[in-house]
Amino acid sequence: MGRLAAMAFKNVFRNPRRSFTLGINYSIVALILTALLAFSRGAADNVSTSVVRASAGHVTISGQYAKDGRIYNGLLRAPEIEAIAAKTLGPKASVLPRYLMQSAVYYKGLSKRLSFTGIEPGLDTGLAGQMRFSGGSWAEWAGDPSGVALPKDVAQYFGLQVGDDVVVSTRTRFGAFNTGILKVRGVYSTDNYFMNGFVLTHLAFLRGLDLASDDSVTALYVYLSDPSGASAARERLSAAPASAGFEVSSPKDDTEAIAAVSAASVRYEADKEGRDRVMLKLSTIGEVLGIVRSIVAAVDGIGGLVAAVMLFVVAISIFINLRMSVNERLREIGTMRAIGLDSGAVTGLFVMEGVALALMFSLAGAIAGALACLAVGAWIPVPAGGSLAILLNSGRLALEPRLGDMLCIVLAIAAMAAAFSYFPARRGGRIRPVEALASTF
Amino acid sequence: MNARTISALALAAALATSQGASLQAQQTASAAAKATDPKAASLVGGFEDKLDLGGIDVTDTFTLVQKKAGEADKVLRIQIYRRDAADTFTLLFQYPNSEKGKGYWRSGDDLYLYLPSTREFVYRNRKDDVGSTDVRADLFGKPNTLAQYWASLAGTAKVASWDCDVVRLDAKQLDVDFPVQKLYLRRSDGLPVKVESFSAGETLLRTSYYIEYKEIAKGKFIFTKLLAVDALENDQKTYLTNEGISTSRIADYTFSKAFLEEQSR
Repeated sequence: MGRLAAMAFKNVFRNPRRSFTLGINYSIVALILTALLAFSRGAADNVSTSVVRASAGHVTISGQYAKDGRIYNGLLRAPEIEAIAAKTLGPKASVLPRYLMQSAVYYKGLSKRLSFTGIEPGLDTGLAGQMRFSGGSWAEWAGDPSGVALPKDVAQYFGLQVGDDVVVSTRTRFGAFNTGILKVRGVYSTDNYFMNGFVLTHLAFLRGLDLASDDSVTALYVYLSDPSGASAARERLSAAPASAGFEVSSPKDDTEAIAAVSAASVRYEADKEGRDRVMLKLSTIGEVLGIVRSIVAAVDGIGGLVAAVMLFVVAISIFINLRMSVNERLREIGTMRAIGLDSGAVTGLFVMEGVALALMFSLAGAIAGALACLAVGAWIPVPAGGSLAILLNSGRLALEPRLGDMLCIVLAIAAMAAAFSYFPARRGGRIRPVEALASTF
Repeated sequence: MNARTISALALAAALATSQGASLQAQQTASAAAKATDPKAASLVGGFEDKLDLGGIDVTDTFTLVQKKAGEADKVLRIQIYRRDAADTFTLLFQYPNSEKGKGYWRSGDDLYLYLPSTREFVYRNRKDDVGSTDVRADLFGKPNTLAQYWASLAGTAKVASWDCDVVRLDAKQLDVDFPVQKLYLRRSDGLPVKVESFSAGETLLRTSYYIEYKEIAKGKFIFTKLLAVDALENDQKTYLTNEGISTSRIADYTFSKAFLEEQSR
């Protein structure tokens, strides 16, 4: 067997032109598949990381509460829920409150409706590292309870500078209008797609603007030391608040998870049950990103289809090439059979030649694909405002070629080469020695 | 509404704006008033009696012109059917064509917006702005101020040439649009000529000027010209005129969802 394998490797380039033609096909398929998987892995990881850094926890606690016959979005008794989460998940988990609402901003005759994000500056420091301030600073913003940090494009729209005051006016959750004045303490840009529109204020300011009580927030983001334990953490978290009188549920599907995480404060609805209660919805980051997984799976599916078509063309080439090769090497087959090689060994030799060729070129293609991905990811900038913005990490396409994926691709191509080599190889192996030696090509 | 009418309204509004600033001292009302001053209640009750058209059916046509700096004027024409005795009204959009067929029907505290494009009724806040203008739907119905606000006296003022009592209203609950309002009630007849609407933080959001009223029955009035000025949006004003007023009886069927559906066909 070892000798046959060695012989097979020697025979790979016996007809260099034919081998290279077929081999390049293997390389191209491997390269495309490597790049495609690098893209989908990178996209999923990048979106997941960006979302977690900006607008969701590993477990996000959101929900609604009913009070005095009305249902409001958000959570009441937030400090209690925070305490329960901290006690249940231990000191390694952190719980960050957020307040989200929309409000119109007025400045010198211009107005625009913007989405506001209220955070606790002392706790929620993870955002600071993602913001590049072109005016003001995180410290200036964090030090002013009425401070606002604006995305650069919003500041440009209004012509705002650090130190300017803006009027905000909103219809609160109760229906009444309320207004406030914010001072611009920072103008920033960010590479995180999910932070792009953040108009950042202190949580207490936003809560006051919404006329909400001191124990209310829109959501609590729970961050774990091990993100892979989000589902288990959710299970543990589900039981604890329930015993404290909260109604706890999980989203029915990914769409509901996204809605639960992204819901801002809106006006109340009438409550049909007529009893005060706090309803918590616990969503894991996996559920929130379900739609991303679906998109990535669709991209992978399309890529897989393209690769399958290419592999089919390659398979036909393998078949034809090997038949030609068998015909060219009838005397050799006859000699091998005459000196004692059985039919299976001859078949195996030809199959191994096909597999060796596939292994060499697909490996080269996969390595070339990985290197190309690394080069594109490292050196080629992509405009942040374009349609690819969601896939960018620090202004570069997030591409993650992985060794495991490359090996799978190479092995899959080799297996396919073996399968499509087998039938022409078996035909060669079945030729009787006398017929083979008597034949001429 | 022609250009001449708009100019006249604008002039009246400008006059009212310039002199409205002469609010005299006596700003005694507390920002957090939690009780109604009997004298203020009497003033509010007085004008509400005059504006309460209970027993009279009113059909009229409102024309709203919203002017905003840098934007084309927005014009709406609405047919109103009003029966205060049953606390109900129906609004039917007649212009522009894009809004035609749309309408509101209010019955008590329930307000429904009918959307002919989807043939559905949407439940709305009774204080909804009409067609995204500065005019609210409850403007067309029976007023019920004291059920929603604490009233207190806030001095006197001169609006245009009229001496007025100023009544401050503080919302009992935050489910009203404007938690604080100031009514300027003309001393000669007790009718409001100016209403300032404030946010919970007491920022002035909107000022409405009731420029003209018409007496449609003995001691019963309906406004015929109104100007609403948005205090936050630069130069955004909404002019409202009320024409074609009739007090003939309106068919009961008019105050129903079915009527709105029928009119949109």
